[in-house]
Amino acid sequence: MSMYILSSHEIKQLAEELRASHDVYGPQVDPQTQQVFFDQLGDVDALNLEAPIPSMPVKEILFPQMEQVLKYKYDAETQNVEMAKPYVEKPKVLFGLRPCDLSGIQVLDRFFLGQEFVDDVYLTHRRQCLLISNTCLNPFPQCFCVCTHSGPDADEGYDLDLTKLQDGYLVKVGSEKGQALADAHDWKPAQAHHLSEQKAVVDRCIDLFPEMATDNKAWVARVMNRITTGFVKSETWEYIGDQCFECGACSFVCPTCSCFNVEDARMCDGECERLRTHDSCSFEGYARMAGDHNPRQPVEDRRNKRFFCKLSYPQSKKYLRPGCVGCGRCQWVCPGDIGLPNVVQYIRREITE
Amino acid sequence: MKLMNYKACVCNLCGTGCGQFLKTDGKKVFGVAPLIAHPVSKGKLCIRGWHSNELLSTNDRITQPMIRENGQLREASYDEAIALVVERMKQFDGAAGEIGILASARSSNEDGFTLGRLAHQVFGTRIQGIGAEAGHRKSMAALEHAFGYPGAHGSLTSIDKADYILVIGTDITRQNPIIGGNIHAAQRRGARVVTLSSSHTQIAKLSTRHFRQKPGTKGLLVNALAKALLAIRTANRERRADVDQMPGYPEYVASLRSISSVALERASGIRYEDIEEEAKFLEQARSIVFLFSSGISGLDRPTIDAITNLALLTDRMDHEDSAVIPVAGISNLQGSFDMGVSGEPGNSVFKALAEPDSPIRALFVVDHDDGIIRDKERISRLDFVAYACAYKNAFMDLAQVVFPLPAYNETDGTYTAADRRVQITHKNVDNPHGVLPGWALFQQIAGKMGQSWGYQDAAGVFADIAATVPGYADLSHAQLSKGFGQHWNPKAFPNSRQRKFNAINIEYWESPTTPEFPFALMIGKAQHYWHQNNLMRKTIVPRREYDQTLWLYPQGYIEISPEDAAHLKVRDKWLVNVCSSTGTCMKIAVKISPDVQNGTAYIPYFIKNMISDFLIPYENAYAAGEESVIPIKIQEA
Ligand code: SF4
Ligand code: SF4
Ligand code: SF4
Ligand code: SF4
Repeated sequence: MSMYILSSHEIKQLAEELRASHDVYGPQVDPQTQQVFFDQLGDVDALNLEAPIPSMPVKEILFPQMEQVLKYKYDAETQNVEMAKPYVEKPKVLFGLRPCDLSGIQVLDRFFLGQEFVDDVYLTHRRQCLLISNTCLNPFPQCFCVCTHSGPDADEGYDLDLTKLQDGYLVKVGSEKGQALADAHDWKPAQAHHLSEQKAVVDRCIDLFPEMATDNKAWVARVMNRITTGFVKSETWEYIGDQCFECGACSFVCPTCSCFNVEDARMCDGECERLRTHDSCSFEGYARMAGDHNPRQPVEDRRNKRFFCKLSYPQSKKYLRPGCVGCGRCQWVCPGDIGLPNVVQYIRREITE
Repeated sequence: MKLMNYKACVCNLCGTGCGQFLKTDGKKVFGVAPLIAHPVSKGKLCIRGWHSNELLSTNDRITQPMIRENGQLREASYDEAIALVVERMKQFDGAAGEIGILASARSSNEDGFTLGRLAHQVFGTRIQGIGAEAGHRKSMAALEHAFGYPGAHGSLTSIDKADYILVIGTDITRQNPIIGGNIHAAQRRGARVVTLSSSHTQIAKLSTRHFRQKPGTKGLLVNALAKALLAIRTANRERRADVDQMPGYPEYVASLRSISSVALERASGIRYEDIEEEAKFLEQARSIVFLFSSGISGLDRPTIDAITNLALLTDRMDHEDSAVIPVAGISNLQGSFDMGVSGEPGNSVFKALAEPDSPIRALFVVDHDDGIIRDKERISRLDFVAYACAYKNAFMDLAQVVFPLPAYNETDGTYTAADRRVQITHKNVDNPHGVLPGWALFQQIAGKMGQSWGYQDAAGVFADIAATVPGYADLSHAQLSKGFGQHWNPKAFPNSRQRKFNAINIEYWESPTTPEFPFALMIGKAQHYWHQNNLMRKTIVPRREYDQTLWLYPQGYIEISPEDAAHLKVRDKWLVNVCSSTGTCMKIAVKISPDVQNGTAYIPYFIKNMISDFLIPYENAYAAGEESVIPIKIQEA
């Protein structure tokens, strides 16, 4: 695997150059609110590789909150149906992915592409995607990827991986696509000391994690064990359930949540559109089955489903990693106090008590 | 550098006023993101806010003006529709009470203000009202008497710092979930959160202390707390304001003294000793926030008076983290009051419609929830009805002329949240049909009736608001665009420094239940009580959540406690006969809920239409919300 060292200027140049043939997405800071979004770049100068973790997960690009997945028109007289595919394939670059978001994409890939069926909409968005990850130099509030093996540096799944060092950006190549890009340029090869510098940067970042996050590391495994074997006390789930406001936010911001809802809506001109929207297991209607039977009616059971999905062995086997990538977003957005790291704490408290 | 696809705005789906980003390309709204820096919502949104994109992209929009011809609405041009409104309105005498205005609590301040001008200066009428105002006027009157101005005292952000938070009778985690979340966070950081509510609501579960009083006794309980507080006060305590010098103090204290602990306990089911214990915490708190629901399912006036009085009595209201906030369910209820389009006693459009011999003949209506159309019969017999709204709804059937309006993100506008925070939402999406904003439509009608207003844009309208509406003088679009809004300034009211106690009456509520009709039925509490669901019905996921309830209980439901269900020998979803003491009966499914007290029963607000025959004799009780009780008996069907 080859490695190069690029100046900040060369990185910007690369982004600019890619913009000619790709839609380039990257972290940007909204000037008014200082909020970070991983959004399409209108101008490479907006690309901010030092910005904190984006407020919304990168899944928004591949699996957006709401998307038209089919358009059709039924002519009752001729009994003819016209159908159209409203989503299109566009070459994209995801420039400066945080490692946790990169892991999130891998989980989504396994869900949408790796199982019994292949989701054509997701595939269309995903097919021509260049993934460029970016090592975190320090954790952001609520981050705990150290517990879930998804950061602060990326170890697989990228085409190119960036780490900011003293001399510039260390660029690691992770795929043939990435290598092709490198070959087309006259980048300066990196030296051995750059690699050890990178290791130091990552180690320093790990040291900077708050104690609770690193301390949770061993606990995540134990909590997974508890959740898988069903040994969590019902009072603990109840305590968690009482705090759920059923907003759905935890699922919407989670880089690995993949549940969706499909709905056909009639448009004004007689055409119909099929919309796919994000969904959440925190909603009562989510799991309703025919015959009035809702297997997850009480709210504490619906919570428990989410944590099962994020932290249990059967799910990990499916995703080849824990369903949680430690981004901490569910903790920011929860109007209760039951983001995933807290739930680990609650269960941990139960175990130690 | 501005972001390409994310635009900051204010959620328009309740009076909390959360900060929100819309993900949009300027033509459509694809998604939502919470706004982390917003001082109230701090990066959180509730289920409604998270699904605004679904509402904003519904195909259920009114797209152009329409005129009724031969009983059918047909498309028309603005010129034609406006000309018709002008022609018809000229035939009525506004001053004689022939024209009524029905404004919307979701309209922007700019739209509300210009609608007021249209009514007062052009149509010459004062007969007016706001769709969902019932109840909020009582809050405004009580607050104005107590604090000298009609609006909340203090800010919602006080919740984050106050020592003590009292939540009175609102199912706040459902109705204003983000306020509920902030209260929960306050409890976790150590604030004392106390809830008064007859049912075991989520906020009750999350409170430090829940007083589960019998229905109809919240006000009594608040007064009892005041009595206990007074009793533990010593002469040399640290004073801030001279509470005992405030007008109404002697009468108030005399009333409090008359509270009998025996009668209190009998009526409310709460022991006075428990209240005394609570009073100690209240006395120790340095900053106190009072929250109560206002608007369509708000409290009655005596209860609100009891709350404002207790607030003054605590002597902590001058602390910067203290507050008394009437929590509004609809986004711009406060702003609509500020803009002067509410119906005050003597000029209420609801009264005009309800009184059979009132002179009203024409109605101009903006965005009215179809679930709460009152006096439909009368409206359908009026000579002329004009209706303006962004979304299709049943009110269109009653109108001769219909105008489209932009959705809240398709035009610039300001909205005033429950705590007087005025915030701006900028246009971030083009209305695909190029419809006129409300203020521009009203200006055109005024123009055709010979009055030129000269507004170029919404900012210009706002400049006029700043010049005329008390408290808004320091505000402008330019300034509001910089941060996350600003509270309007109470100091603009001459009496804003003066504090007064409201007069109270100690009444021991006697439950109207009898051995024959042993259940106290209340209306209001509901799992999916979302704006009477008019707007949420146009979404996908929240609508499914609402439908979920209806699927399970297609005939609607009545909630009773598990113990009562056992006595009645009924199970969940079984049909029962419910009969009221006035003789009306209905068949309805039982929903067993451990959160309901024995001897009480709840019917959710939104199924009102399904059981309207049953409720006919109780129209007033219905309007009074959870504080009123209908005695019923429940029998196996
Ligand atoms: S569960 Fe929470 S912390 Fe884990 S990946 Fe999802 S949003 Fe991030
Ligand atoms: S969770 Fe880890 S990888 Fe993700 S932003 Fe935080 S530090 Fe970086
Ligand atoms: S974010 Fe919190 S309150 Fe909202 S659904 Fe998730 S767990 Fe429940
Ligand atoms: S609490 Fe109100 S303002 Fe906030 S997101 Fe929910 S509906 Fe919108």
